[in-house]
Amino acid sequence: MTVGGGPVVEEEKTEGFSFPPDVTQLGIISAIIAIVIVIIPGLPAVVKAVGVIFALLWGMDSVRKTSKYGLGTGVPSIGVLATGYGVLGALVGIAFAGILNVSIVQPGVLIGVIAMAIVGLISGVLSNNEKIIGMKIPGLERGMMELGIAGTLAMLLQFSIVAGSLDFNLVVERAISNGVIAVMFVLSMMAMFHPYNACLGPDERRPRTLMVSIEISGLLFIILGIFVAATAVSTWGVAGVVDGISLIVFGLIVWIVFFVKFIKTAMREAHSTVGTGLIKTIE
Amino acid sequence: MDPILLIVVCVLAGGVLASLGVHLLPVGGAPAAMATATGVATGTVMLMLGAAMCGLFTAASVATYTSNILLVSLSGAVGSWLMMGVTMLLANLLYVFGAGVVPVSGRVDVDPITGQSQKEYKTPQCDGHGVPNVSYISGMIGALLGGFGGALMYFALLEYANFEPTMAGVAAMAIFVANAIIAAYNIGGTIEGFHDPKFKRLPKAILTCAIISLLSGVLVWVVANMGGLIG
Repeated sequence: MTVGGGPVVEEEKTEGFSFPPDVTQLGIISAIIAIVIVIIPGLPAVVKAVGVIFALLWGMDSVRKTSKYGLGTGVPSIGVLATGYGVLGALVGIAFAGILNVSIVQPGVLIGVIAMAIVGLISGVLSNNEKIIGMKIPGLERGMMELGIAGTLAMLLQFSIVAGSLDFNLVVERAISNGVIAVMFVLSMMAMFHPYNACLGPDERRPRTLMVSIEISGLLFIILGIFVAATAVSTWGVAGVVDGISLIVFGLIVWIVFFVKFIKTAMREAHSTVGTGLIKTIE
Repeated sequence: MDPILLIVVCVLAGGVLASLGVHLLPVGGAPAAMATATGVATGTVMLMLGAAMCGLFTAASVATYTSNILLVSLSGAVGSWLMMGVTMLLANLLYVFGAGVVPVSGRVDVDPITGQSQKEYKTPQCDGHGVPNVSYISGMIGALLGGFGGALMYFALLEYANFEPTMAGVAAMAIFVANAIIAAYNIGGTIEGFHDPKFKRLPKAILTCAIISLLSGVLVWVVANMGGLIG
């Protein structure tokens, strides 16, 4: 089950919808935005949702970067790996949320991000080393490290959206023990692996693939918003009813805008789109 | 024993068993979807994740009644066993009655267990079809080991790290998945079972998974310690 078929030359077309930053720039921008948002758990859910979009976008870009050389097991595997690391890193992060607090800023959660960066780097080095697994993928070390960081940031931000705080006991009670973590797990990995898995092929174009990731994030916010609004303990506070409803509206807007944009871009860039009609019955 | 030692040993054992289990599954991938390769027509990750999830369900149900480590781990093994058995059986039914091919191994000329000749039944230019006897048995052993490992990890997280059941389940799945995927990268696509030449690459995956699981085990202990769940 090979993917892509050998090294792909990066070729940016000028026409159509384009996404300005290259892989490294997008990584730096997303990391800074997501880190700034994650260390302030008191922000409204919609702002955190922007952080989730950027974290997942970065994860998706790393998935695309590493899997275009052909992983041998399909694109989804590396997205699932990222979310697996993300869950573990987020648990480490919330365990450290109580320390290093400066008023509303909680930089302690970043210990989880750093821990997962180290684990990701080690697994990347071991996987790429000629003497051990020997996958021979250029930049796999960096890719796996980035996936660990992106997955952890995305999970932490989602915990923060649902629980309204990063306090260990509160997160366990409101975001983990009731099972909403399963939804986060599945939809986060979908947002990371699905875009490239669905769009890959000879005419795959990065900006178009990135749009699918944002669209799936929109679906994630609709579900999380319903959950936040249904289980809210306050009306106006963080993770309150208003927060939940605004998240649903934000998710709907993001989903509709990017879904329409993706379909239009795909239609425009395709050679032609024809309707085949129903299957004809032979009489 | 110290909680850290118990947690790390159980997670390490779980990760290594997961890696071993993945190497024993008959994974066909995309070629198997066209019945041109031996194995179930899906990726390693999907098969092992499905098996581990079923194992975790049974293990979690049993863990509500007992805190015997062997009982919980074995129930997890039985859960994944059942899942893999049904999956391979139904895949075979589809291959035989739907695609019209004979389950046959592409890597060996004679089935190492039953001694049946394989070569004559293989379509030229194909790499085997369906799930032959040896792959079926290999897959059952793999699911047994993988499910045992996953349930062992779940039990360690639940009882020694005092994680809350959902948290233990999701964290166990996260560590399991990471190990299964690293093992899948070692296989690189398709494998038939223990008779496949690719099975000889196993020590490399075991080494990598042991290191990853060791780190994960330490992180789990850190979570339990910093979150005030133990000590």
